Amino acid sequence: MTEEVVNDRKKARLLWTHTEGYRGVFGMAIFTMAIAYVFMFGAPLLAAFSIDAIRAGAEFSPAPSTILIAQFFSGDDIPGMMAYLALAAAGTILLTAIAGGFLYLRGRYIAFASEGIVRRLRDRLFDHIEHLPSTFHDTADTGDLVQRCTSDMETIRVFLSGQVIEISRAFLMLIVVLPILFTLDTRMAWLSLTTLPLLIIAAIFFFQRVKKIFEAVDKAEAELTTVIQENLTGIRVVRAFARQEFETEKFAVKNKAFRDHNNRLIGLMGIYYGFSDIVCLGQIGLLLIVGGLWVMDATLTVGTLFAFLTYEGMIIWPIRHMGRVLTDSGKAIVSIGRLAEILSEPIESQNEVAPSNRLKGRITFRDVSFAYANPRILNNLSFTVEPGETLALLGPPGSGKSTIAQLLLRLYDYHNGSICLDDHELNTLNRKYVRSQISIVLQEPFLYSNTIEGNLKIGRLDATFEEIKQAAVDACIFDSIEKFPQGFDSQVGERGVTLSGGQRQRIALARALLKAPPILILDDALSAVDTDTESQILRALKNRRHHQTTIIVAHRLSTVMHADKILMLHDGEVIQRGNHESLSKVEGVYQRLCAIQGAIQDQIQHDIAEVRDHD
Amino acid sequence: MTDAYFDDENFKDGFDDDSFNTGMDLHLWRKLLSYALHYRKEVIILATCAFFTAVAEIAFPLITKGVIDTVAADGLDADLSQYAALYGAFTLLLGLSISGFIWYGGKIRTHVAHDIRMDGFCNLQRLSFSYYDFRPVGWLMARMTSDCERLSNILAWGMLDLVWGCTMMLGIAIAMLFMDLTLGLIVLSVLPVLAWVSLNFQHRILYSARIVRKTNSRITGTYNESIMGVQTSKAFVKEAENLKKFGGLTDQMHSASVINLVQAALYLPLVLTLGSVAIGLTLVFGGLEVVWGTITAGTLVAFLTYARHFFEPIEQLAHWFAEMQMAQASAERIMSLVMAEPEIKDSKEVIEAMKQDKTAYAAIDGHVDQINRITFEDVSFSYDVGDPVLNNIDLDIHQGETLAIVGSTGGGKSTLVSLLCRFYEPTTGRISIDGVDYRNRSLHWLQSNLGIVLQSSHIFGGSIIDNIRYGNLNATDEDIFHASKRSGAHAFIEALEDGYQTSVGEGGSKLSAGQKQLISFARAILADPKILIMDEATSSIDTETEQQIQQGMDALLSGRIAVVIAHRLSTIRNADRILVIEHGKITEQGSHEELMVIQGRYYKLYIQQSLSEFVDEENYWRS
Repeated sequence: MTEEVVNDRKKARLLWTHTEGYRGVFGMAIFTMAIAYVFMFGAPLLAAFSIDAIRAGAEFSPAPSTILIAQFFSGDDIPGMMAYLALAAAGTILLTAIAGGFLYLRGRYIAFASEGIVRRLRDRLFDHIEHLPSTFHDTADTGDLVQRCTSDMETIRVFLSGQVIEISRAFLMLIVVLPILFTLDTRMAWLSLTTLPLLIIAAIFFFQRVKKIFEAVDKAEAELTTVIQENLTGIRVVRAFARQEFETEKFAVKNKAFRDHNNRLIGLMGIYYGFSDIVCLGQIGLLLIVGGLWVMDATLTVGTLFAFLTYEGMIIWPIRHMGRVLTDSGKAIVSIGRLAEILSEPIESQNEVAPSNRLKGRITFRDVSFAYANPRILNNLSFTVEPGETLALLGPPGSGKSTIAQLLLRLYDYHNGSICLDDHELNTLNRKYVRSQISIVLQEPFLYSNTIEGNLKIGRLDATFEEIKQAAVDACIFDSIEKFPQGFDSQVGERGVTLSGGQRQRIALARALLKAPPILILDDALSAVDTDTESQILRALKNRRHHQTTIIVAHRLSTVMHADKILMLHDGEVIQRGNHESLSKVEGVYQRLCAIQGAIQDQIQHDIAEVRDHD
Repeated sequence: MTDAYFDDENFKDGFDDDSFNTGMDLHLWRKLLSYALHYRKEVIILATCAFFTAVAEIAFPLITKGVIDTVAADGLDADLSQYAALYGAFTLLLGLSISGFIWYGGKIRTHVAHDIRMDGFCNLQRLSFSYYDFRPVGWLMARMTSDCERLSNILAWGMLDLVWGCTMMLGIAIAMLFMDLTLGLIVLSVLPVLAWVSLNFQHRILYSARIVRKTNSRITGTYNESIMGVQTSKAFVKEAENLKKFGGLTDQMHSASVINLVQAALYLPLVLTLGSVAIGLTLVFGGLEVVWGTITAGTLVAFLTYARHFFEPIEQLAHWFAEMQMAQASAERIMSLVMAEPEIKDSKEVIEAMKQDKTAYAAIDGHVDQINRITFEDVSFSYDVGDPVLNNIDLDIHQGETLAIVGSTGGGKSTLVSLLCRFYEPTTGRISIDGVDYRNRSLHWLQSNLGIVLQSSHIFGGSIIDNIRYGNLNATDEDIFHASKRSGAHAFIEALEDGYQTSVGEGGSKLSAGQKQLISFARAILADPKILIMDEATSSIDTETEQQIQQGMDALLSGRIAVVIAHRLSTIRNADRILVIEHGKITEQGSHEELMVIQGRYYKLYIQQSLSEFVDEENYWRS
């Protein structure tokens, strides 16, 4: 992961660019919410009006427009109290229902906007990770990457669908309710704002402390998880040394630490909520008592007092909640940063030319040197393979055999020397084009959690079943597949059939054959396949030989002896080159290998085959 | 696929996540509740706090009523000071109760989670390996972490909301009915409708949330797969196609989440509107009553406030009720873990014997604290399902003997060793130690006399010295140095920057496979077990390390019963006796020379093995 710190502006920009097209929807959400609150805040006014009307009794003198409305609905010329009350009640329900309708719209808008943005981020991240260079994936920790793609994404999702709205809600409420309050009664309006600063300061103070404890809780949880995980993965060692008690004690310490950190968090929360409740209720009490006094000297009506009490209850709780909302928003910012780190990693270059024709398959290495880090893996390596030829690479681990394959696939970029495919310099060719021209089979192939047929089709999506079958036959895996209960439809992986190493290798070979590219690379790809099967496979490959250039990395003599060219590598250099005939006549490593394997080869192969048959 | 990720939603473990359709298993919840009731004092305080909170919340509208009525009746002469005092007192009471119930609710929650986890962990240490065979580590982890949190959450806060909600609704109902029976009944008439709507919606909301969770776990799986298989995807130029598939998944996620959010968006306005019906009814009928003079304006205000608050708890109660139904499968899973009985444990007789006084040379179970001879008599074994893995094994192992077991994969080598360790017990036949059936001996005694070195040596996170000390917790540093010298690990450890204090990283990730092997040797030498079991590794060790290991091996194997599942020729040749196991039977046994002479199975395996070792060596040639 990059060490470079992703600064706040960059984070904000990242999120902002992904909101493209959804900003209007967010705007609509806030707009509908504002309308909803206008209606919702109308309801207490109706109740206030009714209370004052009732209290006025006979002296009740409504405004002329109100009388008109009441006349219209009741049909009476002089509407009675009942008509006004019924109107107020109907109004209350209507206003709330309309407000509810707008709140529902708000919810819809928010759902579409937040989920849309998150979907876009998810896709973008997936695409980006797939295009990051191998140098990134070599060092990245899979668990950490997955964690970022899921947990951090969830934090951002909650931020978008929840906290953004919570924050705008608190502001909107103030904006909508303040004019109403000041229109109703200026003194009462000022009075209802007295404790707000205290509440805000308390929220900031507490949640700064809470943030620290949150971090401690997270850390304690991570430690606890590690202890359980290590115990469970190492359970055999634990039992073998009868260390159950020791392990339990170790676990108990972490379990208790996690509990106690959580309790500290709860302790602080308890204080905060208790305290802020007292402040909030104190505020309402202040309105009640002082308002009551003003009602006494008749400068305030009971209805207005009721309206103030209701409004205060509506705005003060969301404001109290702000501390929590802001803390969670802080977490979201951290998560955005963690995603931004991945997204700011440069991806592989994409813009080189992609010729439209199929390669013939000539491979030329000229003075190629390469190093992942230090030391050098390849050292001034030169060789040529003509179209249709088979090249075998021999050498101890670390001699650079696999590196040659990875360079050919452009998984890494070389900087010294020249590699040509046909007449094209490899660096100038589009990566995807290059890869579409090469098939590789690895020693430990990766199979997707899909059916066997699905895995084979990875080679070529539009392959017919006949072609798939033929590839399976050539790779000597057809019979094994047929033996599975669901045949080609068997699921690979945890919930499906368990494949042996040799079966996996052969499935990978079949999918590579299905692709039928001009260049085929077998990187120690038959190591887990027994010799009989191997020779069958090699025979099948021989029949395809005029179609493709083949590079075989192997240890067994039987695998490499029929190759057109053989390279002996050591420390990234060619120490012997030729073919089986020429090399076996020269004194050297290859000859020694022949001596060891050749002399007793037949007898022992025979024995082994017999042993295997017996299995 | 890897440890990094486990897909609970798609793992078939026999527990049905959809069992909420069939209703709730009260028995199960009662059992879980006993975890919470263990904290009797806290539960009582919690209930009291919740009660006082409800009482205070009921009191406020009454005080408001009092203020308004006093003001209305007495005008300028009214004295509000007693109301102010009352209000202040209830504010304090509410504040304290809120703090209290967060404290005690939280305490119960964290303690219950702690206790369930503790019980689970302890039981996991007792359970036989047969339990682990069918449950991936990820499954167990999910029980010990997220399930614990989820259930303790339900138990503590669910219970709290239950007490608070019921008290509050009951209190408000009583207050309303007491103030005015008719008006009270009118307001309450909305309740059944609201309860029905709430329950319905909460159920739907939680259900669609479950679909979201399921889809989410598939997304996680796809991320995981794309990262694990990135090289293959590149080699086959599958990026675009993968993205398209993933896009399909995020589309599903999008629509599932939107449904979930829209349901929630629909619920809130419905509750608000239904609540406003209650307020409207109060306005009309209450207003008329004020006009008629049957109630005061203050009472009307109090009613209006009550009508607004009365329905608040319903949402919470419905939520918890639905959540409990949804969490049923979690509850079943974790209780199954906590209550699982180990298949292999000490018999009653052994437990009795362990309580008796011992003579000086006796082991904890009263028998002799020695192992001179282990005998397999006609032992057969099969796992729960499937064919027998071992058939009629007869075998005698003596003190000081090194026994090498060879044979093809799946032939029963590992099972034989697991039976010896009593990780499993024979299905038929018996295994005895110095003539006593090992089922009549203490499991702990046997296993604390075992030393095991596995093919993939498990290293714990922490320092090297702690890892070696694991073999004997009472060992001095000197003992440890001595053990690691004998194993051949000392040289490389000393060469590290922090020596023995070097931190090895999680799972020993900072060490090479050979180094891990040497450390596990040192650990076993330090433990000085009576029986040593070794599953030998073939690969991942270069020729040079191989030689170092040989020294450690010799040190480890000598002077005790040693059973090695052997791959290396040197080990096989040097063993006192070689056992060939094929298809669950001992087909040949004897020394290397004896077996070579008969030119049977062993002969073939040996030749095969020598060939591949030869080639490997050749690959390390020096030019």
